[in-house]
Amino acid sequence: MLKLVTSDIDHDGTPLEALDSVESLLLRVADGDQRSFAELYDRVAPRVLGLIKRLLIDHAQSEEVAQEVFLEIWRTATRFDPQRGAALSWVLTMAHRRAVDRIRASQSSHDRDIKIGIRDVDREYDQVAESVEIRIEHERVKRAMTQLTELQREAISLAYYGGYSHSEVAKILAIPIGTVKTRLRDGMIRLRDEMGVA
Amino acid sequence: MATNDDSRMNTGAFALGALSPEELERFIAAAESDPELAAEADGLSATAVLLGLASTPVEPSAKLKVDLMAAIASTPQLSRETVVPLAEVRDDEPSASARVEDARPQPVEAGAAEQKARTRWFARPATLLVSAAAAIGLFVGGGFVGSALTGDTPVVVDQQAAGLAQIYAASDVQSVRSEVEGGGVATLVWSGELGRSAVVVDGLAPLPAGSVYEAWYINDAGAAPAGTFDATGAHKTSWHLLDGTMSAGDTVGVTVEPAGGSKTPTTTPIVAIASA
Repeated sequence: MLKLVTSDIDHDGTPLEALDSVESLLLRVADGDQRSFAELYDRVAPRVLGLIKRLLIDHAQSEEVAQEVFLEIWRTATRFDPQRGAALSWVLTMAHRRAVDRIRASQSSHDRDIKIGIRDVDREYDQVAESVEIRIEHERVKRAMTQLTELQREAISLAYYGGYSHSEVAKILAIPIGTVKTRLRDGMIRLRDEMGVA
Repeated sequence: MATNDDSRMNTGAFALGALSPEELERFIAAAESDPELAAEADGLSATAVLLGLASTPVEPSAKLKVDLMAAIASTPQLSRETVVPLAEVRDDEPSASARVEDARPQPVEAGAAEQKARTRWFARPATLLVSAAAAIGLFVGGGFVGSALTGDTPVVVDQQAAGLAQIYAASDVQSVRSEVEGGGVATLVWSGELGRSAVVVDGLAPLPAGSVYEAWYINDAGAAPAGTFDATGAHKTSWHLLDGTMSAGDTVGVTVEPAGGSKTPTTTPIVAIASA
């Protein structure tokens, strides 16, 4: 009897539609499709906000920056070129840049606890026992991070998660800027190779 | 040559966003004429994205999405074809009315050239990120996963989130959207391989007191209960990981049932989505 009623229900389900990729959503956003923008937002917003908040710590400020990021995505989706990289990379690169901009623009950035930048990555993972997939991803990065020297890890964390420029990193660690550059480069090359990016 | 040697040492700092604006400009100029440098910069930039993904997802407030949807409605997009001269990029900002948070101090923006440069890849083939993206794709599949990671979420929700993420991660994941009777949209997401499915609902009408939504697997054998859920709360988007195993060709329906759920449907489904 239930089967009879269900056939009466009007639904416009598109048959066997594969789940939209972030790329295809972004390409539709470039056509001004607001619905795709909403879907894209649902998919990536927690990731975007998570990264921004990692840098800024403050939730309200992080949401402001996330809003700037998504407005920029909307405005510049027309310039996204899938030939040049994955949509998610494009989005996260933008989010990181905006967060760094906010840090550098704010006077209080200099008061931020330096430890924020170099806090142990492990602590972050401990809060996240919930999802197997995320756990795996974290484990991958964590494992790769262990292949770095302590000095490389410290410099990379300060730069990426702390949002410090290399000259700030040099000041914080009281080492020459050339040494910072070397640590960042050697460390990132090591990470790249460990994580099989290239 | 000296300048390039300098830039060569800067690939790590470039990828991490740690160069000064002047250095960045020099770096870009150097990379444009040096494919090897460009390739290294791209690879390290892709690596930096993985660092970004290692951060714990954070669920945004419902307000953020509402504000954004309102803002984009009045925010023009950049034109597609024209390569905008760098100087114009800043002028193309959304109009004041489009700004949702006008009163807030805006950060001092980086220069236009820098802005542009920092979101570009140099010469990256589309396939370069494949291994990373394969891992990443799993997780962005569900923006919902993030909601399970914020604070004191009950364990059962986390398990549900993990299940949903698993479905999104499956190689045979499929989805079908359907309008819901009485308003809203439901999307069925499933993997035949896993035999699992989830219903994602958005904008459903509020339930009468003492009622729940109940999901059903519907096939020739009738309707089998697949768990109750409720779509109220702070987020109007909600989802339910169906209990039991989905068989190929099952239709998934949702009815409104008395609290606690029913053994067989007592009302007409508000939505029924066929998986084949």
